[in-house]
Amino acid sequence: MSDVNPNPGDAPKTINGIQIDATFAEAFGMSATGVVITADTPKWAMIAAKTMSGFGTSVIGCGAECGIDCEVPASDTPDGRPGVRVLLFGFSPDAVLPQLKNRVGQCVLTSPGSACYNGVEAKETLKLSTGIRFFGDGYQTAKTLDGRRFWRVPVMDGEFICEDTTGVVTDAVGGGNLLIIGKDRAGLLETTEAAVEAIAKVPDVITPFPGGIVRSGSKVGAKYAGMMASTNNAFCPTLKAFPVSELSEDTIAVLEIVIDGLTSDAVAQAMKAGLKSVIETGAKHDVTRVSAGNYGGKLGQHHYHLLEHLP
Amino acid sequence: MSTLTLTLRAGDLPSARISLMGITPSALAGKSADEVARTNLQAGAQSVALGDLFSISGTAGETLVISGSSGTLDDIGNRLEAGTMIVEGDIGSYGGRRMSGGKLEIKGNAGPYLASRMSDGLITVAGSAGDSVGGIKAGEKFGMTGGQVVVEGSIGARAGDRMRRGLIIARGKFGAHAGSRMMGGTLWTEAGFGAEPGALLRRGTLIGPSVEALLPTFVDGGRHDLVVLGLISQHTKRTLGDLAPKALPKEVRKYSGDMATIGKGELLLFG
Repeated sequence: MSDVNPNPGDAPKTINGIQIDATFAEAFGMSATGVVITADTPKWAMIAAKTMSGFGTSVIGCGAECGIDCEVPASDTPDGRPGVRVLLFGFSPDAVLPQLKNRVGQCVLTSPGSACYNGVEAKETLKLSTGIRFFGDGYQTAKTLDGRRFWRVPVMDGEFICEDTTGVVTDAVGGGNLLIIGKDRAGLLETTEAAVEAIAKVPDVITPFPGGIVRSGSKVGAKYAGMMASTNNAFCPTLKAFPVSELSEDTIAVLEIVIDGLTSDAVAQAMKAGLKSVIETGAKHDVTRVSAGNYGGKLGQHHYHLLEHLP
Repeated sequence: MSTLTLTLRAGDLPSARISLMGITPSALAGKSADEVARTNLQAGAQSVALGDLFSISGTAGETLVISGSSGTLDDIGNRLEAGTMIVEGDIGSYGGRRMSGGKLEIKGNAGPYLASRMSDGLITVAGSAGDSVGGIKAGEKFGMTGGQVVVEGSIGARAGDRMRRGLIIARGKFGAHAGSRMMGGTLWTEAGFGAEPGALLRRGTLIGPSVEALLPTFVDGGRHDLVVLGLISQHTKRTLGDLAPKALPKEVRKYSGDMATIGKGELLLFG
């Protein structure tokens, strides 16, 4: 999800033997919503959450970027059962709504013992239950508690509870990113995994790609008509011989972490957490450099300069 | 936080019932003691100055205390929108009727039509409450449409008549015909229902440990493990704190009714 890096002119900084480029991650304004899924056990809440957030890596190809923000303890969920919070990002509330309804309808309603509640407190709301409640074929009923309306849809293991609405924010951010560069592919993966785990501790963010990691960073457009994006050749190690390469001779691999957040501050905190983790653990795994993807600063409203987000 | 206290002077009581309609914290806020004293109250067919019946102390603001109250005082907290009203003693009819916010705390017993057509807020009663809690006056379409009522004692007949939303909790029993013509909302007793609850119940939930006599139009649906029980328990724990009843058990016996109407209501029995 990145293009070549223009160097703003500042010198890179080296910490613990890892070069931090003087560049920035360029991210975009997005809309975001979320749900808290509960179930009888943490295992089944997580199964429903993972199923719902599947095929949700990139808004371009998947319709939405989805991921698990956090587990929610039973004491904090509306029905007192263990829960998981899933966030969904899209271009607009209108674009997020069908994704939300399809994913809840196909992946949460169907999951044993599940229930689905508002996951984002916001003034603007989406009709979470519309469509899904009609699965009850007229036997559905609603229970309103403290101004919140919960639909009870009869299903074969009891009732599926689905809150009527969930919040949607239009000032979310998608596309914060880190490019982590190393001399050992296994070590690079281990370091990047640790960074994803560190980012997962930051509230209100997701890393939507598989395991939080992208190996196929992309640039906008291609030589072929109709291709919206193509490989980020400047960061492909097998293309080091070509002039546009941005990689040093000893680079073996590059992995990217893409970060979506409900707020710009959440993305900034996640960038910091990821950078801190790489700086602390990367050197022993032959990680040599951290960069970031951008489009020259002309497309995205949000710029996260790596040197301003150091631990 | 400023508090105004109105103390009923027992010796000056007229024989007629007295209506405290319009006597709420927001209606009196900013008024001087003299202005409050000149406020007219209805006592039967007569108009009486508030100052002729009550001693006034403190400053009008967020909290209004009615001290020495008795069952002849009607309409206490009627149309309460915000703030807190604390009643030391009993109240008459229509307490908290059409209340849309705030808190009404009654330290004695409440008469009939408590919380009638209430839409939001919280009413607590330390004693018992009369008939038609959360219900309607003749000719009205909907009873209670929101808010919460917690009664430490028992509640009279026909609680929740034509109720649409909201929650009424009794530590004691509900009288006969609770939830009649109800269209939504929840009645929850820790001691049991009287005879024939839920006559013409369309939607809504009646929860309790027992019932004296069931209507023949309620059908036993067997035992159920319902997520909504946890939802209701968590809701009361979060919003009522120490006032919340003991959390509901995991399983209940569900009776669907009233099958004389659409049958989407439920009587849930535990214990």
